[in-house]
Amino acid sequence: MFKDLDPILHSQLRLAVISLLVSVKEAEFTYLKEHTQSTAGNLSVQIQKLKDAGYIEIEKKFKDNYPQTLCRITNEGLQAFEIYFKNIQAYLKPKK
Amino acid sequence: MKQEETFDPQESMQVISSMIITAKNKLAEDGFSLIFWGWLVTISALVHYFTILLNIDYGYFVWPVLMPLGGIVSAYIGYKQGKKKKVKTYIDTYLSYLWIGFGVALAITLIFMPSHGIKTTYFFLMVLYGIATLVSGGILNFKPLVIGSVCSFACAAISVFLEDREQLLIIAIALLCSYIIPGHMLRSKFKSQNV
Repeated sequence: MFKDLDPILHSQLRLAVISLLVSVKEAEFTYLKEHTQSTAGNLSVQIQKLKDAGYIEIEKKFKDNYPQTLCRITNEGLQAFEIYFKNIQAYLKPKK
Repeated sequence: MKQEETFDPQESMQVISSMIITAKNKLAEDGFSLIFWGWLVTISALVHYFTILLNIDYGYFVWPVLMPLGGIVSAYIGYKQGKKKKVKTYIDTYLSYLWIGFGVALAITLIFMPSHGIKTTYFFLMVLYGIATLVSGGILNFKPLVIGSVCSFACAAISVFLEDREQLLIIAIALLCSYIIPGHMLRSKFKSQNV
């Protein structure tokens, strides 16, 4: 049905993650989990898919002896988001 | 979050806008540094002023005692707050570069105070307060800081016509307008959005 839409982004959770990362410089995994109201397991699968597509970078560190996962959008991810957004707008535009 | 098969373009738009609004609407600053430094410098300036007025020696010692102490407390609290943050926005980055630049400019101005005199130093301090609060106000889209900066610039201009002793009072006024009042307003706005 929505052939032009990037399948990586046309998923509610992955799109939510990308939309959050567009607005910030970097975000912790827990921040993404909190704001997307997703489960840790599902979120970790979805961010891995975004990483495999080259849309985000994931940095794993330690903070106060606890593992910390930081996510950042890449230029490729930003471009993909822009294209996806334009395509969505085109779908929503009333046909003349 | 819904499953992919029920996800249509209309919902896509809703997800994008709600997530962007979530990230954008959070006020990046809690006003702590403005309040802390505003009060600390104002108190120091007033103590110094009254010691001169009452002919008490070594009143200027309030500066080398309170300022480094403030630096240590501020750095410690900044470090603690940084650790708690789960997200780093572009606003955080812009503000940190601005205030680092401000700190360096302030340090250079104070280090070379003996060569260019007290009057010029106080003038530059108020100009620096004005620049830092103007840019912060612009970045945060927070008008009281912008208005405070105008007041600080005005105080700097007025200070040229005043004696050294009165310059301490004008610094206190500049800080009240550009740091303390906007700082408290920023803090209450920050608290209200985090209730």
